[in-house]
Amino acid sequence: MDFVILSLIMLSIGIYGLLTNRQLLKVFISVELIATAATLNFVMLASSMGVGLGQAFLILAFSTDTAVSGVILALLVIVSKKYGTSDMAKIIQILQSKGESEDEAQ
Amino acid sequence: MIFEILAVGLIISAVLALFLDEVIYSVAALAGTFFFTAFLYVENGALYAAIFQIAVGVGTLAILFLSGEMLGDKPKMQTSPIRVGALVGAGAVLSLPAIFLSVSGSTGTTSGLDFGDALWNVRGLDVVLQALVILTVALGIAIVLYEKKKKGGQ
Repeated sequence: MDFVILSLIMLSIGIYGLLTNRQLLKVFISVELIATAATLNFVMLASSMGVGLGQAFLILAFSTDTAVSGVILALLVIVSKKYGTSDMAKIIQILQSKGESEDEAQ
Repeated sequence: MIFEILAVGLIISAVLALFLDEVIYSVAALAGTFFFTAFLYVENGALYAAIFQIAVGVGTLAILFLSGEMLGDKPKMQTSPIRVGALVGAGAVLSLPAIFLSVSGSTGTTSGLDFGDALWNVRGLDVVLQALVILTVALGIAIVLYEKKKKGGQ
Protein backbone atom coordinates (compact mmCIF):
# COMPACT_ATOMS: atom_id res chain seq x y z
CA MET A 1 0.00 0.00 0.00
CA ASP A 2 2.66 2.49 -1.14
CA PHE A 3 -0.01 4.79 -2.53
CA VAL A 4 -1.05 5.85 1.01
CA ILE A 5 2.37 7.45 1.54
CA LEU A 6 2.24 8.93 -1.97
CA SER A 7 -1.15 10.54 -1.41
CA LEU A 8 -0.01 11.77 2.04
CA ILE A 9 2.96 13.52 0.41
CA MET A 10 0.67 15.04 -2.23
CA LEU A 11 -1.70 16.21 0.51
CA SER A 12 1.18 17.76 2.48
CA ILE A 13 2.45 19.61 -0.62
CA GLY A 14 -1.08 20.89 -1.32
CA ILE A 15 -1.63 22.10 2.26
CA TYR A 16 1.82 23.74 2.33
CA GLY A 17 1.00 25.54 -0.94
CA LEU A 18 -2.40 26.59 0.41
CA LEU A 19 -0.79 28.14 3.48
CA THR A 20 2.20 29.83 1.85
CA ASN A 21 1.14 31.00 -1.65
CA ARG A 22 -0.13 34.55 -2.05
CA GLN A 23 -1.37 34.28 -5.65
CA LEU A 24 -5.02 33.26 -5.84
CA LEU A 25 -4.44 31.01 -8.88
CA LYS A 26 -1.72 29.14 -6.97
CA VAL A 27 -4.17 28.69 -4.09
CA PHE A 28 -6.59 27.18 -6.61
CA ILE A 29 -3.83 24.83 -7.86
CA SER A 30 -3.19 23.81 -4.22
CA VAL A 31 -6.87 22.95 -3.80
CA GLU A 32 -6.67 20.85 -6.99
CA LEU A 33 -3.62 19.00 -5.63
CA ILE A 34 -5.42 18.24 -2.35
CA ALA A 35 -8.45 16.93 -4.28
CA THR A 36 -6.15 14.80 -6.49
CA ALA A 37 -4.44 13.36 -3.40
CA ALA A 38 -7.80 12.39 -1.89
CA THR A 39 -9.12 10.76 -5.09
CA LEU A 40 -5.76 9.00 -5.66
CA ASN A 41 -5.96 7.35 -2.24
CA PHE A 42 -9.61 6.43 -2.72
CA VAL A 43 -9.25 4.90 -6.19
CA MET A 44 -5.97 3.08 -5.54
CA LEU A 45 -7.38 1.50 -2.36
CA ALA A 46 -10.59 0.47 -4.12
CA SER A 47 -8.82 -0.97 -7.16
CA SER A 48 -6.22 -2.81 -5.08
CA MET A 49 -9.11 -4.42 -3.15
CA GLY A 50 -10.91 -5.21 -6.41
CA VAL A 51 -13.97 -3.12 -5.52
CA GLY A 52 -15.60 -1.62 -8.63
CA LEU A 53 -17.73 0.65 -6.46
CA GLY A 54 -14.68 2.80 -5.72
CA GLN A 55 -14.39 3.81 -9.37
CA ALA A 56 -18.14 4.40 -9.58
CA PHE A 57 -18.06 6.73 -6.59
CA LEU A 58 -15.14 8.56 -8.16
CA ILE A 59 -17.63 10.23 -10.52
CA LEU A 60 -19.26 11.83 -7.46
CA ALA A 61 -15.85 13.02 -6.20
CA PHE A 62 -15.01 14.48 -9.62
CA SER A 63 -18.34 16.28 -9.98
CA THR A 64 -17.95 17.77 -6.48
CA ASP A 65 -14.38 18.76 -7.31
CA THR A 66 -15.48 20.41 -10.55
CA ALA A 67 -18.28 22.30 -8.78
CA VAL A 68 -15.80 23.53 -6.14
CA SER A 69 -13.39 24.58 -8.93
CA GLY A 70 -16.18 26.53 -10.64
CA VAL A 71 -17.10 28.41 -7.46
CA ILE A 72 -13.43 29.18 -6.65
CA LEU A 73 -12.78 30.44 -10.20
CA ALA A 74 -15.91 32.62 -10.13
CA LEU A 75 -14.79 34.17 -6.81
CA LEU A 76 -11.28 34.60 -8.21
CA VAL A 77 -12.53 36.47 -11.28
CA ILE A 78 -14.79 38.72 -9.13
CA VAL A 79 -11.95 39.54 -6.70
CA SER A 80 -9.44 40.16 -9.53
CA LYS A 81 -11.89 42.48 -11.35
CA LYS A 82 -12.75 44.39 -8.16
CA TYR A 83 -9.20 44.93 -6.89
CA GLY A 84 -7.22 44.71 -10.15
CA THR A 85 -4.83 42.05 -8.84
CA SER A 86 -4.84 38.39 -7.86
CA ASP A 87 -2.15 38.83 -5.19
CA MET A 88 -3.58 38.32 -1.70
CA ALA A 89 -1.01 40.60 -0.03
CA LYS A 90 -1.93 43.48 -2.36
CA ILE A 91 -5.66 42.89 -1.81
CA ILE A 92 -5.15 43.01 1.98
CA GLN A 93 -3.16 46.26 1.58
CA ILE A 94 -5.96 47.80 -0.50
CA LEU A 95 -8.59 46.72 2.05
CA GLN A 96 -6.51 48.09 4.95
CA SER A 97 -5.94 51.48 3.25
CA LYS A 98 -9.65 51.60 2.40
CA GLY A 99 -10.54 50.94 6.07
CA GLU A 100 -8.13 53.63 7.28
CA SER A 101 -9.55 56.25 4.88
CA GLU A 102 -13.10 55.38 6.04
CA ASP A 103 -12.00 55.79 9.69
CA GLU A 104 -10.49 59.20 8.90
CA ALA A 105 -13.69 60.28 7.16
CA GLN A 106 -15.72 59.39 10.26
CA MET B 1 9.38 -0.17 -10.91
CA ILE B 2 6.68 1.62 -12.94
CA PHE B 3 4.95 2.74 -9.73
CA GLU B 4 8.19 4.30 -8.46
CA ILE B 5 8.82 6.21 -11.72
CA LEU B 6 5.23 7.47 -11.78
CA ALA B 7 5.38 8.44 -8.08
CA VAL B 8 8.59 10.47 -8.62
CA GLY B 9 7.06 12.16 -11.70
CA LEU B 10 3.85 12.92 -9.81
CA ILE B 11 5.59 14.56 -6.85
CA ILE B 12 8.03 16.52 -9.03
CA SER B 13 5.20 17.89 -11.20
CA ALA B 14 3.17 18.77 -8.06
CA VAL B 15 6.14 20.69 -6.59
CA LEU B 16 6.71 22.48 -9.92
CA ALA B 17 2.99 23.35 -10.16
CA LEU B 18 3.11 25.09 -6.80
CA PHE B 19 6.49 26.79 -6.80
CA LEU B 20 7.14 27.95 -10.39
CA ASP B 21 6.77 31.73 -10.64
CA GLU B 22 4.82 31.98 -13.89
CA VAL B 23 1.22 30.76 -13.67
CA ILE B 24 1.21 29.31 -17.20
CA TYR B 25 4.19 27.05 -16.39
CA SER B 26 2.46 26.07 -13.14
CA VAL B 27 -0.63 25.03 -15.09
CA ALA B 28 1.57 23.01 -17.50
CA ALA B 29 3.11 21.24 -14.48
CA LEU B 30 -0.41 20.61 -13.10
CA ALA B 31 -1.21 18.92 -16.44
CA GLY B 32 1.74 16.62 -15.72
CA THR B 33 0.29 15.86 -12.28
CA PHE B 34 -3.07 14.90 -13.81
CA PHE B 35 -1.48 12.68 -16.45
CA PHE B 36 0.83 10.93 -13.95
CA THR B 37 -2.21 10.30 -11.73
CA ALA B 38 -4.09 8.84 -14.70
CA PHE B 39 -1.11 6.56 -15.53
CA LEU B 40 -1.02 5.43 -11.88
CA TYR B 41 -4.70 4.48 -12.14
CA VAL B 42 -4.04 2.52 -15.37
CA GLU B 43 -1.07 0.78 -13.76
CA ASN B 44 -3.31 -0.25 -10.85
CA GLY B 45 -6.07 -1.55 -13.16
CA ALA B 46 -8.53 1.34 -12.67
CA LEU B 47 -9.01 2.19 -16.36
CA TYR B 48 -12.33 4.02 -15.99
CA ALA B 49 -10.91 6.20 -13.22
CA ALA B 50 -8.02 7.12 -15.53
CA ILE B 51 -10.43 8.11 -18.31
CA PHE B 52 -12.46 10.29 -15.89
CA GLN B 53 -9.26 11.84 -14.54
CA ILE B 54 -8.08 12.81 -18.02
CA ALA B 55 -11.54 14.09 -19.07
CA VAL B 56 -11.97 16.24 -15.96
CA GLY B 57 -8.30 17.28 -15.99
CA VAL B 58 -8.46 18.55 -19.58
CA GLY B 59 -11.47 20.75 -18.74
CA THR B 60 -9.85 22.14 -15.59
CA LEU B 61 -6.60 22.82 -17.43
CA ALA B 62 -8.34 24.64 -20.28
CA ILE B 63 -10.08 26.97 -17.82
CA LEU B 64 -6.89 27.42 -15.81
CA PHE B 65 -4.85 28.30 -18.93
CA LEU B 66 -7.42 30.95 -19.87
CA SER B 67 -7.74 32.43 -16.38
CA GLY B 68 -3.98 32.20 -15.85
CA GLU B 69 -3.41 34.23 -19.00
CA MET B 70 -6.15 36.73 -18.05
CA LEU B 71 -5.59 37.16 -14.31
CA GLY B 72 -2.06 36.01 -13.56
CA ASP B 73 0.36 38.78 -12.54
CA LYS B 74 3.52 38.68 -14.63
CA PRO B 75 6.63 37.96 -12.49
CA LYS B 76 9.38 40.58 -12.49
CA MET B 77 12.15 38.09 -13.32
CA GLN B 78 12.15 34.92 -15.42
CA THR B 79 12.56 31.63 -13.57
CA SER B 80 16.20 30.56 -13.71
CA PRO B 81 17.12 27.00 -14.75
CA ILE B 82 18.92 26.61 -11.39
CA ARG B 83 15.66 27.25 -9.53
CA VAL B 84 13.82 24.74 -11.77
CA GLY B 85 16.58 22.20 -11.11
CA ALA B 86 16.36 22.83 -7.36
CA LEU B 87 12.58 22.32 -7.47
CA VAL B 88 12.97 19.06 -9.43
CA GLY B 89 15.56 17.89 -6.87
CA ALA B 90 13.28 18.83 -3.98
CA GLY B 91 10.44 16.91 -5.64
CA ALA B 92 12.66 13.85 -6.12
CA VAL B 93 13.72 13.96 -2.44
CA LEU B 94 10.11 14.38 -1.30
CA SER B 95 9.07 11.32 -3.31
CA LEU B 96 11.62 9.06 -1.58
CA PRO B 97 9.27 8.09 1.31
CA ALA B 98 6.68 6.89 -1.22
CA ILE B 99 9.33 4.60 -2.75
CA PHE B 100 10.97 3.23 0.38
CA LEU B 101 8.12 3.27 2.93
CA SER B 102 4.93 1.26 2.85
CA VAL B 103 1.84 1.02 5.00
CA SER B 104 0.89 -2.56 5.79
CA GLY B 105 -2.75 -3.52 5.55
CA SER B 106 -4.92 -6.25 4.16
CA THR B 107 -6.02 -5.78 0.57
CA GLY B 108 -7.29 -9.29 0.13
CA THR B 109 -10.99 -8.52 0.33
CA THR B 110 -12.67 -8.63 -3.06
CA SER B 111 -16.27 -8.00 -3.96
CA GLY B 112 -17.97 -9.46 -7.00
CA LEU B 113 -19.27 -6.02 -8.00
CA ASP B 114 -17.53 -4.80 -11.17
CA PHE B 115 -17.57 -1.19 -12.41
CA GLY B 116 -20.61 -1.48 -14.68
CA ASP B 117 -22.73 -3.20 -12.00
CA ALA B 118 -21.62 -0.72 -9.36
CA LEU B 119 -22.42 2.24 -11.60
CA TRP B 120 -25.87 1.19 -12.78
CA ASN B 121 -27.14 -0.79 -9.79
CA VAL B 122 -25.87 1.42 -6.97
CA ARG B 123 -25.42 4.83 -8.58
CA GLY B 124 -27.78 4.75 -11.56
CA LEU B 125 -30.39 7.12 -10.12
CA ASP B 126 -28.03 9.83 -8.90
CA VAL B 127 -25.99 9.77 -12.13
CA VAL B 128 -29.19 10.40 -14.11
CA LEU B 129 -30.26 13.13 -11.63
CA GLN B 130 -26.80 14.70 -11.88
CA ALA B 131 -27.11 14.81 -15.67
CA LEU B 132 -30.58 16.39 -15.27
CA VAL B 133 -29.19 19.11 -12.97
CA ILE B 134 -26.35 19.89 -15.43
CA LEU B 135 -28.85 20.05 -18.32
CA THR B 136 -31.10 22.42 -16.31
CA VAL B 137 -28.15 24.69 -15.48
CA ALA B 138 -27.06 24.76 -19.14
CA LEU B 139 -30.62 25.60 -20.28
CA GLY B 140 -30.89 28.30 -17.58
CA ILE B 141 -27.65 29.93 -18.72
CA ALA B 142 -28.78 29.78 -22.36
CA ILE B 143 -32.13 31.45 -21.45
CA VAL B 144 -30.43 34.19 -19.39
CA LEU B 145 -27.96 34.92 -22.20
CA TYR B 146 -30.77 34.95 -24.80
CA GLU B 147 -32.81 37.42 -22.69
CA LYS B 148 -29.74 39.61 -22.23
CA LYS B 149 -29.09 39.61 -25.98
CA LYS B 150 -32.76 40.44 -26.66
CA LYS B 151 -32.65 43.40 -24.23
CA GLY B 152 -29.34 44.57 -25.73
CA GLY B 153 -30.85 44.53 -29.23
CA GLN B 154 -33.86 46.70 -28.30
